[in-house]
Formats: sequence, structure tokens, C-alpha cells
Amino acid sequence: MVRNDYFKYTLILAVICFVASALLGAVYSVTNPIILSQQALQEQSGLREVLPEAKSFEAVKEGENILYFTAFGPGENVLGYVFKASKKGYSSEIATLVGVDQAGVISRVKILSQNETPGLGTRIIEALWFQEQFRGKKSDNLSNGVQAITGATITSRAVISSINEKAKEIMERVHGR
Amino acid sequence: MKKLWREFIKGIWTENPIFFIVLGLCPTLAVSTSVNNAVGMGVAVIFVLVCSNVIISMMRNIIPDKIRIPCYIVVIASFVGIVEMAMKAYAPALDKALGVYVPLIVVNCIILGRAEAFASKNPVIASLIDGLGMGVGFFLALFVISAVREVLGSGKFAGFAIPVTFEPAAILVLAPGALLVLGLLMGGIRWIKSLRS
Repeated sequence: MVRNDYFKYTLILAVICFVASALLGAVYSVTNPIILSQQALQEQSGLREVLPEAKSFEAVKEGENILYFTAFGPGENVLGYVFKASKKGYSSEIATLVGVDQAGVISRVKILSQNETPGLGTRIIEALWFQEQFRGKKSDNLSNGVQAITGATITSRAVISSINEKAKEIMERVHGR
Repeated sequence: MKKLWREFIKGIWTENPIFFIVLGLCPTLAVSTSVNNAVGMGVAVIFVLVCSNVIISMMRNIIPDKIRIPCYIVVIASFVGIVEMAMKAYAPALDKALGVYVPLIVVNCIILGRAEAFASKNPVIASLIDGLGMGVGFFLALFVISAVREVLGSGKFAGFAIPVTFEPAAILVLAPGALLVLGLLMGGIRWIKSLRS
């Protein structure tokens, strides 16, 4: 009798799992193309935001990973580059999108995601002057001239050094060869 | 009708999931740093809790007692997965506001707790009301905790600066502040309840 119960329970659980995974699979196949196109749309608008002068962008890839985007102006000339920098701040990974011109001078930066302490670390988004002060600075030489926010030193430094490191890497790739 | 009203109200007051049952404290401590976060998490929990209660209640005669926990986990996790994908695809604005919290809800023990304690033994309508009451109770408790922490800890309410005459105590928005505020509020609310009975 006990043996029979085991069989029954296994069967019921298997059926429930089967139905659940079939539903998940069906929903995934319907929604995934929509989600991907939405993400692409969001990415484009983010790129426009940090480098408004550019007309079009082209992803530069290494294998599957996107290294950075090359931005083209109206006459198909290279205007600059957009890249994503990220680094661990005080309590979360902070991701920043940076637009630079050919020489590496920053056009704008945009904090994409963070989960820092409200009232302290989150001021990198709330205090507009923090992101504004990056404009016109050399992205691969940020050691001076960018002020950290009082009470959010670790968060600010993470943003600054992540941009600095990534910019160095990309400038080497672009100009080094 | 009166019985249903009692099911609803018990989640908000006498059996409030945070202050009296003390369930789901992990998301409570983590998310109550600002009112905006609390509202997002609260709304997401109400939604998932109501739906999972209804589904579990509909399946209560199919699921054998001995293997109920794995069944509930499969049902709740796949339901949350479906909601998350649908939200990302058809309501990206909503996903932006609640997206971070929805996956966290799978591991919120209030959901499994109500499935086990109520939905598995009661009809669909009562389970729906129970889920709604518990969800609203969780929402209100989270709202109160986060309001105290945000106002006293960063001098703001829902992200807007309010004129305060004191220096905000940053410890309240940090992790120890969550435990301090939760403990004091829980004590205070239980004291009020003991006065009334």
C-alpha cells in the first residue's frame, strides 16, 4: 500500500511540474521577442541620451559581448563612443553609461542602475551636479576635478573609477592599434 | 459577508503578518529604507499573494497532504515567473517600478505561509479575501516602517525633501535602523493591542 502511495505522489508532483514548465515555456516563447525588442529600444534611447549629437550607433563586439558602441554623425563620420562602466559601490553594483567624443572627452554620463543607501549613496542620482560635472572632462583621466558627494564617498569613487578604468581600456583599443 | 470582512480585517490588524505573525521580515528589513521602495514591494506582494492564494485554493483537493510543500513552491514560483515575463513584455513601466521586487516575492514566506495556513483549507473566495487582507496588512506595516525610517533617517518623504529642523540620523536608513524601528513599532503596536483587550 505504502509503495502505491509513493507512486501516486510522484505522479501527481510530476504532472504539476510538467504543467508548470509547459506554461512557463509557452509564456516565454510568446513574450521573449517582445522583451528583447523593448530592451533594444531602451538601449537606443539611452545611447541617444549620453551622446545626443550622434545619428546612429554600431555595437563593437568581441564574441557575444558588446565592448562599446561607435557613434556616427550625419555624414557617417565617427563622432565618438558610448560605453558601459560598472563597479561595486557601497552596497550594490553601479552601472553607468558614458558618451565620449573621439578624444575621450565626456559628453554626458547616465547612471543606469544602482541600489545604494537611500539618502546617502542614492544622491549620485538625486544631486544633479554630480553627473553634470563629468561633462567636458577627459574620461580616461578623472583623478582630479570630479568631486565626490559628502557622505557618499565610496559610491562616488566607484562611479568615477569605473568610468576611468573602462575609458582607458577603450581608448587603448581605439587608438592603440 | 460578515465572516469575509473578518478575514480581511484580521490580516490588517489582529493577525498582521509583520507585527503579530512576524512573517516576511527579511524583505521588510531590506526594502523599508524609503517609502517608494515600500510601496513598490507592498503592491507586488498584494498582487502575488492574492493570485497564489486563489490558485492554491482551487487546487486544494488535487494536492495530496504529504507532498503539499513542493507542490506549493512549484505553483508559486512558476506563477511569479509568468507574471514577471508578462510584465516585462506588456507593461515595461510597471516592470521598471516593481521589477526588482517581484523575484524577491518567491522567497517571501508570507506567500507560502498563507498557502499552508489558509488557502489549502478554505474555499476560493475566502482565500482571495485572506490574501487581500494579509497583503494590505503587509503593505501598511511596510509603509509605516519606511515612513519613519525615511523621514527621520534622510529627512525626506517618498523622495521629496521635507523641512526638518533636525539633522537626519543616517543610522535609521542603514541596516541597524531597520531592526530598531521594527522592534520599537512592534512593541508599541502590541502594547496598544493589549490596552484594547
